[in-house]
Amino acid sequence: MQRRAFLASLAAATALPRASWADAGSPAYLAAAADGAGAYFLCGISAAGARLFSLPMPGRGHAATAHPTRPEAVAFARRPGTFALVIDCASGTTSARLTPPEGRQFNGHGAYSADGAVLFTSEVVAEGSEGRVGVWDAARGYQRIGEFASGGIGPHEILRLPGSETLVIANGGIQTDPSDRTPLNLDRMRPNLAYLSPEGALLEQVELPELWQNSIRHLGIASDGLVAFAMQWQGDLMEPVPLLGLHRRGEAPILCDPAPEEIFAMKGYAGSVAFAPGGQEVAITSPRGGRVQAFSRKGDPLWSVARADICGLGPCTEGGFVATDGQGLVARLDQGALHPLERDSLSWDNHLVSLL
Amino acid sequence: MTRSLLARFAASSALVAALVAPAGADVPEAISKEILPGYQAFAAASETLAEAARQDCSAEALRGPWNAAFDAWMGVAHLRLGPVEDQGRALAIAFWPDPKATGARKQREMIEAADPALLEPGALAQASVAARGLFGLGRLLHGEMENGVPYVCDLRRALAEDMARMAGEIVTDWGPYSELLLSAGAEGNTTFLNPEEARQALFTQLISGLEFNADQRLGRPLGSFDKPRPERAEALPAQRARADVALSLAALKALAGALAQGVGDIPKTEAAFDRALAQADWPEDPAFAAVADPGGRLKVEILQQSIRLARDAALEELGGLLGVSAGFNAADGD
Repeated sequence: MQRRAFLASLAAATALPRASWADAGSPAYLAAAADGAGAYFLCGISAAGARLFSLPMPGRGHAATAHPTRPEAVAFARRPGTFALVIDCASGTTSARLTPPEGRQFNGHGAYSADGAVLFTSEVVAEGSEGRVGVWDAARGYQRIGEFASGGIGPHEILRLPGSETLVIANGGIQTDPSDRTPLNLDRMRPNLAYLSPEGALLEQVELPELWQNSIRHLGIASDGLVAFAMQWQGDLMEPVPLLGLHRRGEAPILCDPAPEEIFAMKGYAGSVAFAPGGQEVAITSPRGGRVQAFSRKGDPLWSVARADICGLGPCTEGGFVATDGQGLVARLDQGALHPLERDSLSWDNHLVSLL
Repeated sequence: MTRSLLARFAASSALVAALVAPAGADVPEAISKEILPGYQAFAAASETLAEAARQDCSAEALRGPWNAAFDAWMGVAHLRLGPVEDQGRALAIAFWPDPKATGARKQREMIEAADPALLEPGALAQASVAARGLFGLGRLLHGEMENGVPYVCDLRRALAEDMARMAGEIVTDWGPYSELLLSAGAEGNTTFLNPEEARQALFTQLISGLEFNADQRLGRPLGSFDKPRPERAEALPAQRARADVALSLAALKALAGALAQGVGDIPKTEAAFDRALAQADWPEDPAFAAVADPGGRLKVEILQQSIRLARDAALEELGGLLGVSAGFNAADGD
């Protein structure tokens, strides 16, 4: 962190009354975006789908994570990530820039501790893609204070279980070239879903031995702790496999098979996953297949919606889901119907991060 | 094609004609000149096949009409939007590739069970998509499942009827679906929110169609240099995989031309298509058996490369003219 920025954030923290998310216009969602000219932004989106703010980013973003109380978000670069920006969403300024230590790369996602004092980041050791969780002091200017093993290769999304300090991380299993995104081990990958204590103890690990080429990458969590994990199939695309799993700690995972006519619709790829409010429905998106598939929390297929390049997904306050796509659409999805909310001039990137 | 089907098609054509802008540019041109006539031809060929099966369900009698229906399908097989995606029709018409041989397994089960209820009109609509359509019927016309068992003969007839039914439904449903594409951006149209989205949707079919030819129709038999997989060629017993690539490329070239209509010229794309089409023409190697031989393999690899160059040319030239590109999220996963 730059000394000037540190002093500025220190001054902001001490001299002003504490800002809240209301000062940022009370966004319901955060999302990374791009314009047609190649500029990148982190945006706040209202519950009605309107863009409330857009803050410039130095490169293509991926996902973000919001501080539980302060109007502060960390926007992560697309992997292999060399930066993450702590953004003051009320003032529209960057309050800190996180740079991974030498030989580490950010992997696009992060999560805060329950009190917001600590930020955990999903990272890899550049050589070999071994997973790490970076630990940052969010109470005092985001100093790096440690790291621990993620429990696998190529971790991607990390979340904290509600009402708990336990972290859950999707170890995608894919080793990539340190300089780009070329996968190196698709014939011997071993993805897993790992539960970790905030000190780094491996509490539980879930593997799917028969689907070892199904990279576990994205996560959703219901308020009762049911974890949804979305996968990306690295095997033969003409072999239909489930792309969504549900897991509760201590139990066996449930794999969600789509309806027979939908088995190839996702093109072996799920880009985002989210529960609807109440946690009774869970959905996955596929920008490659131009499809959203919804399932019950028992794993039964419920409905699907076709929409090109759809990817970002979050819960909708009115029930169902809100989704974003590369054409700038923000839409509500409910019971198999798509209701456009807003159409932005920006292209929405992979993820819609809910602040609800 | 039945009279009622013709009548329905005439109605949908008239509707499209009414909606077509006078300049006849891109989306209307692609629908009226390529997509609707393509599906009409497939429906007619499927009906001819079903009619032939009503007269004589022997393998000898059906191979000709089956090949004609397959040829017609190659004119539209790259279209994976709209009615063909409803009720799993695209898969039920052409379940390929099938790496786990699910189709053959399901079909053996059907023949062993010999359930007369499955032969009733409409019953096959509920059966596994893997056992139906061109590939399901093709297995009963070529090779080991072609035999004199009466149930197999009846199953051929039922499969032909099932496919003719689906083909007719697709033609009918394209009436309202054309309307959605042509009224992109109109109030209440939540499928296509503006004309660019309709253009993007058809452009995507062109690009994925080219990729399917390169990655699947050629890529599967090519396998790797150390392990060529000629047994994976499309519809292997019918020895028509190379013809399928040529027919598909011709249809994709026509779609590219229709999308460029009234928008601009696409000389690089057309030249790339012509090069690939010329390379696809090699009658001595109808099913890519040559992939197992180093010299022949090189020729198939060159064809694959030419198809990918046609895709690149279309992305750059036609994508630029239409103001569309490969999807922001779809093109770059994570």
